[in-house]
Amino acid sequence: MSPARLFQGGLVVVAAALAVYPFFGTGYGVRALLQLFMWIALAGSWNLISGLTGYVSFGHVAFFGAGAYTAAILITNAGWSWPLACAAAGVAACGLALLIGYPCLRLKGPYFAIAMLGLNEVLRALVSYFEGLTGGGSGLSLPTLQASVPIYYVMGLCAAAVTALTYVIITSRFGLRLMTIREDEVAAEAMGIDTARHKLYAFLLSAVGPGIVGGLAARDQGYIEPISVFPLATTITMIVMVLFGGKGTVWGPVLGAVILFVSQEVVWARFPYVHQLLFGAIIVAVVLLMPRGVLGILQIKYRLPRTV
Amino acid sequence: MTAALELDAVKKSFGGVTAVNGVSLRLEPGRIYGLIGPNGSGKTTLFNCITGVERRDAGRIFFQGERIDGLKPWQIAVKGVGRTFQVTRVFPELSALENLLVVTRGDRAAAERRGRELLAFVKLEQLAGEYAGNLSYGQQKLVEFVRVLMRDPSLVLLDEPAAGVNRTLLNDLLEAVRRLRDEGRTVLLVEHDMKVVMGLCEVVFVLDHGDKIAEGPPGIIQADERVIEAYFGR
Ligand SMILES: Nc1ncnc2c1ncn2[C@@H]1O[C@H](COP(=O)(O)OP(=O)(O)OP(=O)(O)O)[C@@H](O)[C@H]1O
Ligand SMILES: [Mg+2]
Repeated sequence: MSPARLFQGGLVVVAAALAVYPFFGTGYGVRALLQLFMWIALAGSWNLISGLTGYVSFGHVAFFGAGAYTAAILITNAGWSWPLACAAAGVAACGLALLIGYPCLRLKGPYFAIAMLGLNEVLRALVSYFEGLTGGGSGLSLPTLQASVPIYYVMGLCAAAVTALTYVIITSRFGLRLMTIREDEVAAEAMGIDTARHKLYAFLLSAVGPGIVGGLAARDQGYIEPISVFPLATTITMIVMVLFGGKGTVWGPVLGAVILFVSQEVVWARFPYVHQLLFGAIIVAVVLLMPRGVLGILQIKYRLPRTV
Repeated sequence: MTAALELDAVKKSFGGVTAVNGVSLRLEPGRIYGLIGPNGSGKTTLFNCITGVERRDAGRIFFQGERIDGLKPWQIAVKGVGRTFQVTRVFPELSALENLLVVTRGDRAAAERRGRELLAFVKLEQLAGEYAGNLSYGQQKLVEFVRVLMRDPSLVLLDEPAAGVNRTLLNDLLEAVRRLRDEGRTVLLVEHDMKVVMGLCEVVFVLDHGDKIAEGPPGIIQADERVIEAYFGR
């Protein structure tokens, strides 16, 4: 059997195991996997804009938070069903990306990163301000509903969809054009690539996943407040996962999310005080020792394709 | 006949430095032109103004009779102006073949065939899958040269195409430039090697401190007093 076939076979087995897991697994296991799916979707989405075009978004959690509030408000105030509300959350995040992407994507390098950081802070402030709709600083409680298992499946689908989308993009010439922006934006323009439009498309695609996932997380947790859905730490975790796994690759974000999430759950949970310290140390180690991440190194060393 | 390219008093300064000082010139279609001048005389800046990489301060630029100053670089490229850079700007973490593929649309298999053909033409077919950043400087120059051809441009601007390319390949490269001309394209090239300029160009423009100081067939230009003065001083 060729390695590619073996890999595909392995994927099918993993997917099947995850699909039947809720019938056998513990409640804790379902919740843990649900969160892992969420991180895969978030990291994969960040990779779409930042891993491919090199435009580092330091406020990507803004789309997560916007999705969370959209879904929560629609469920609580308008009585929408959660699947519909979460779909609307994806649309809302995409709309937000359209609104801010147009001006912000003209900014280069660190200026874009800072603008995104600012966006997140502004959104958090806005959400706190409009108390009537959002509950302000005291947060928003959703009607009680036990839906962990359905949310598990939808979250899993989101993770799979983001990964599949990444595969499709990276193997396409559209994806190559996104990478030319990362590689040399001036040369890309001189070659006739409309970089502004390409960046915007990538940005829109990168916002949908966090929007939907934010809605799902809000429904799952049953309660949201500004500090819980707009934390900078979430953006940083996405970034670290992608950098650790390998930016600009299909499986890098998945690998990074799995390794960091699992080590967080298994190891760090036992040493709560050193948790933050370890996380910081990992960031420094990744940046210093392997800035291209695990899969990035393999690609350079063994010339593996980006799809591995 | 409409000019392939026409510049009317194009001017560009950087702070206090006037890099291009009101240059006018006209390129007829299907010919090879040279652009020469001492270091810092404004050749690259003129290329940048034509391709929209820099915005000119004053003057007008027409491509096939149509005004292009003010357009975005990608729009100018799509209209049919291709260029290479003096210091190569390949996409380092894209393979040589991918460097060529990015500009294509439609039938991918056909695009890959064409890309491989062009790489074979510059003897790089074996390195099609290699990251462009891992290629030697001369090889990168060649990748950049064939990348320009992928878009089928009608005007090709080459900024020192021969620099860093070895002797044997150089002749192929010069032959390729002639072939571009034979296919009806217009070529404007910056080159310091006077032998290359003499062998290739029908008309040469000379820049000095941003001014166009001479224009004509290379043989006559070489004997021009102002040109000698610009190069060697009084
Ligand atoms: N981006 C820039 N910012 C400031 N000054 C610039 C810039 N680009 C060019 N210049 C200046 O403009 C003048 C013309 O430079 P240009 O690169 O066009 O010369 P050139 O003829 O291409 O020289 P060379 O033969 O060395 O390539 C120089 O004085 C240079 O320092
Ligand atoms: Mg120059």
